[in-house]
Amino acid sequence: MTDLSPIPALGGSTARLTKIGALTLAENAGLGLASLALRRGGAQPVPMGLALPGPGLWHAGNGIAAFWTGPGQWMLEGADRAEEDFARAVKLAAPDCSVTEQTDGFVALEVVSSAGAAPIERLCEKLVNVDLGRFGPGSATRTGLHHMTVFVIRRAEDRLAILGMRSLAGSLWHAVEGAAQHLEGAAT
Amino acid sequence: MTRLSGGLIDRSERLSFTFDGKSFTGHPGDTLASALLANDVRLMGRSFKYHRPRGVVAAGSEEPNALVELRAGPRQEPNTRATMAELYDGLVANSQNRVGSLERDFLAVNDLLSPFFAAGFYYKTFMWPKAFWEKLYEPMIRKAAGLGSLSMLPDPDSYDKGFLHCDLLVIGAGAAGLAAALTAARAGAKVILADEDFRLGGRLMAESHTLDDAPAMDWVANLEAEFASLPNLRVMRRTTVFGAFDHGIFGAVERVSDHLATPGTAVRQTLWRITAKRTVLAAGATERHIPFANNDRPGIMLAGAMRAYANRWAVSPAQTVAIFTSGDDGHRTALDLSAKGVTIAGVIDTRADAKALGKYPLFAGAVVSDAKGRLGLERIAVTREGQTSWLDVGALGVAGGWNPNVHLASHHRGRPLWDDALQAFLPEPGAVPGLTAAGAAAGQGSTAAALASGAAVAQAALAELGITAALPVLPRAEDAPQRQAAFWHVPGKGRAWVDFQNDVTVKDIKLAHLENMRPVEHLKRWTTLGMATDQGKTANVTALAVMAELTGRTIPETGTTIFRPPYTGVALSTLGQGDTGTHFRPRRLTPTHDWASAQGAVFVEVGQWMRAQYFPRKGEKSWRETVDREVLATRAGVGLCDVTTLGKVDVQGADAGEFLNRVYANAMASLKVGMVRYGLMLREDGHAYDDGTCARLGEDHYVVTTTTAQAGPVYRHMEFCRQCLWPELDVQLISTTDAWAQISVAGPNARKLLERVVDGFDLSNAAFPFMACSELTVCGGLRARLFRISFSGELAYEIAVPARYGNALMARMIERGADLGATPYGTEALGVLRIEKGHAAGNELNGQTTAQMLGMGKMVSTKKDAIGAVMSRREGLLAETRVLVGLQPVDPTQPVTAGSHLFAQGAEQKTETDQGWITSACYSPHVGSMIGLGFLTGGAARMGEVITAANPLQNQQIALRVVPTHFVDPEGGRLRD
Repeated sequence: MTDLSPIPALGGSTARLTKIGALTLAENAGLGLASLALRRGGAQPVPMGLALPGPGLWHAGNGIAAFWTGPGQWMLEGADRAEEDFARAVKLAAPDCSVTEQTDGFVALEVVSSAGAAPIERLCEKLVNVDLGRFGPGSATRTGLHHMTVFVIRRAEDRLAILGMRSLAGSLWHAVEGAAQHLEGAAT
Repeated sequence: MTRLSGGLIDRSERLSFTFDGKSFTGHPGDTLASALLANDVRLMGRSFKYHRPRGVVAAGSEEPNALVELRAGPRQEPNTRATMAELYDGLVANSQNRVGSLERDFLAVNDLLSPFFAAGFYYKTFMWPKAFWEKLYEPMIRKAAGLGSLSMLPDPDSYDKGFLHCDLLVIGAGAAGLAAALTAARAGAKVILADEDFRLGGRLMAESHTLDDAPAMDWVANLEAEFASLPNLRVMRRTTVFGAFDHGIFGAVERVSDHLATPGTAVRQTLWRITAKRTVLAAGATERHIPFANNDRPGIMLAGAMRAYANRWAVSPAQTVAIFTSGDDGHRTALDLSAKGVTIAGVIDTRADAKALGKYPLFAGAVVSDAKGRLGLERIAVTREGQTSWLDVGALGVAGGWNPNVHLASHHRGRPLWDDALQAFLPEPGAVPGLTAAGAAAGQGSTAAALASGAAVAQAALAELGITAALPVLPRAEDAPQRQAAFWHVPGKGRAWVDFQNDVTVKDIKLAHLENMRPVEHLKRWTTLGMATDQGKTANVTALAVMAELTGRTIPETGTTIFRPPYTGVALSTLGQGDTGTHFRPRRLTPTHDWASAQGAVFVEVGQWMRAQYFPRKGEKSWRETVDREVLATRAGVGLCDVTTLGKVDVQGADAGEFLNRVYANAMASLKVGMVRYGLMLREDGHAYDDGTCARLGEDHYVVTTTTAQAGPVYRHMEFCRQCLWPELDVQLISTTDAWAQISVAGPNARKLLERVVDGFDLSNAAFPFMACSELTVCGGLRARLFRISFSGELAYEIAVPARYGNALMARMIERGADLGATPYGTEALGVLRIEKGHAAGNELNGQTTAQMLGMGKMVSTKKDAIGAVMSRREGLLAETRVLVGLQPVDPTQPVTAGSHLFAQGAEQKTETDQGWITSACYSPHVGSMIGLGFLTGGAARMGEVITAANPLQNQQIALRVVPTHFVDPEGGRLRD
């Protein structure tokens, strides 16, 4: 075990968390990530028992989750596995695929609503150009957010994850927090 | 003037406001314009060019005259239409474009000089002396002719943006829009109803018509109640849909807090991007006026607006008014005002067979030919059969027919179509895919027709989406046939205004015709017609008609104008969506940012990245002193620099080597596992594209690096090659730039330092030679990657760890290397180190240079093909003799300036004798003078020659000696030791 101390993407010593109205915005510093791509002509694996989702979708099960990122490509998520070599575990589970460590390639912001879907959807409207009518639980997409590239995952009616480039963590937090604050301060 | 009866204002509450420092009161529901009229203020502004006194003309967003500076201090907003400014308590407004008071504007002298300011005057005058244009004439004209002023203070408010998707977007909430929204929302479709007004109803609020024998607003109130119960319908008040863009995308501005004194915690405005499957354009129509001499007197307004002020806001601009009309519509104003107790001095109808619709004097077959009352209308001249008489009136309503609001339908360059029966332009069907006009915007102007048309258009639009919608039972409504006469202006000697906002008169159009500026595009530019902030909403069609009359052609033959976004002005703050300062654009921070900040680093923007530029220490007096220290410390001990920003692309697959062979000019498939090779990419045209390193971690696994600037483009280029050029190759790519923190460890003590952090890894030269790479662990088991590569020319490595550990690793190495002279260095020192070593960077890879120019011609392999290889051998490029050389001043105290051009000594300095340019320059503490790199004609054979670097911008002529590019360790022994 290394004696170096990691820092979260947003800096400081602990992952950032804030509550704004019905929304809780939290940095998920424990999320292990690994990209998986099929080799040419390779069969689609079922890594760790997880059926890989189709375009626009996110699946969770058996302690891991995955979302589609392109033809023959997925991003696998391992909750609380950021400190281990998650990519190696994925590679072992899908040895015929190209697997690349991505844990620190991204910052993951988890947004949870205490008042159902509405606050999540209002926040989404202010952040990403996504048709919410077709973005129910289990949806995932890659899109632009404040001139940044992000993955947006609808984990549940009342839960949203936004994965952005780690180096842009501060800008992404500013954008999401600002939008949530604007919703709270809406004029009447 | 006291208020009339009725109206949609809340008389139980009074709102105080000021205009030009005078206090007034109004009521909730008022606009600034209606409240001013209610306080007998007819004079609201000065015209753009002639500084003519002006009053309000319209009651909506088409207003050309009543532009004010709204609010004070940093929120002061020029050119705000008083007709769109919702009254709130404490509102402050000031008139604009005047010198002195609004009543006594000194620049009104322009009006006396109007013969000199005819159409196109600025193309014809002020031609000489030439130098005076920029220094005198233009500033003078800009000062004299203009609109409001800016506060020059930062905007204190916040703005945001949003994205909406719907089946049906309904633009406009008048009769047609309401019927369309109702039809679609009841069918379960996802509907957005947007209107620029703060209340729903459109012209229903302005008319006295009934629906089902009850006030029209009763029906609207019931509808609003139903709308509130429909979750699939989003009603957006105070929202202007300002542009129709591609693929069903519309831009809209919601004025979230403009109706409040200050936004408080809310945003001021929101910029919405609405993606609609289908759209109903129910934007209504704009009334047109009829130009006659002095028709711009305050108190002369559109008759429909006068009716709106009376019915909606319970106000008349004067106790005695007259109407000038070319159809029945003007008579409706007379009837409505008369019913509210306003004296109608007469209805002047251009039609000889006109009939009065009520008890008021009718002047059939007559025109208004002049008006008097400089600061407010006093009298109008009525001319019938050559006889002129004067009527004393305080206001005149002018009704020249209605122009459908076709603007949004033109945003894809759709040309409005002339409808002869209607005497108006209609939207071209299909001009904006998925958009259909309804109601008055489609020429269906009666209330009944508008309601029916809105419902039918919505039903048809939804049918295209597979949604069946039933037509609602619509209320009984007036259905007066809409007849519009072709009466465009009153001929006469005086100046008759066509475009109020830009001061364009019938005379100006005549002059444009005389000067052969007849096509409508020329007319517009010659006279500036329609080029003001209102885009000529009340002027364009009338101007076309006047030009048609002059040319003897029809209006459609004369042409039409294309409208472009935005429909009404959009503030730059809104388009900017609020972020200024630090968050003006996304900022990328390196993994060691926190550590560098704590060390007091000075940061520099490198694209989106914030990189440590240098690390000043106490006592250092200049950045140069700091950078010199960092460079010398690196060359003497060991320096550490965060180089995470270099792009990293993970390349895997059975054909990864072959893929890289084709992407890089030099061979990569032959690279041994565990080794790194410098790589050069070419563009298709044979010029150098990007450079970097290529490390082979396994048989089918490479990691390539790119320059910081090209990280994104090179990854995109590689993806294009993979997906489109060679899909048959088994290769997978993914960026890992952010995943790994990468730190350069350079200097003679680099190995010693690394030995203190690696976990038992053999770093000896034999085990880990120059250009080796390996995966390993550091600091007690942390996975890492090590590359023995050097940008500085020293013994150097780059070590990569998961990004979250970058900060700690940097701190650890600085701490462990204290006795080795471990020193952090920034991008400035990085630049000095690489220039001293003669390494190319972005300055040399500027898109105009080739491998041969960079001295890397032999790297372009002839044993394989690669992108750009063939083109790099074309005649023109082979003949190029400019190559990269080192440059050193003959006098060491002299500067070397990047960008300077190189000439043979004594040669005349002109393009033909230009021999190259300096790409990079710095002060080299190693050499003890400034040094540079540059491309020089025949440079390889000119070592030792003294040439001249010319920098005419700074009057520099510097003698430089041509030297090899390596200023340090030319043999390369250090990096291989």
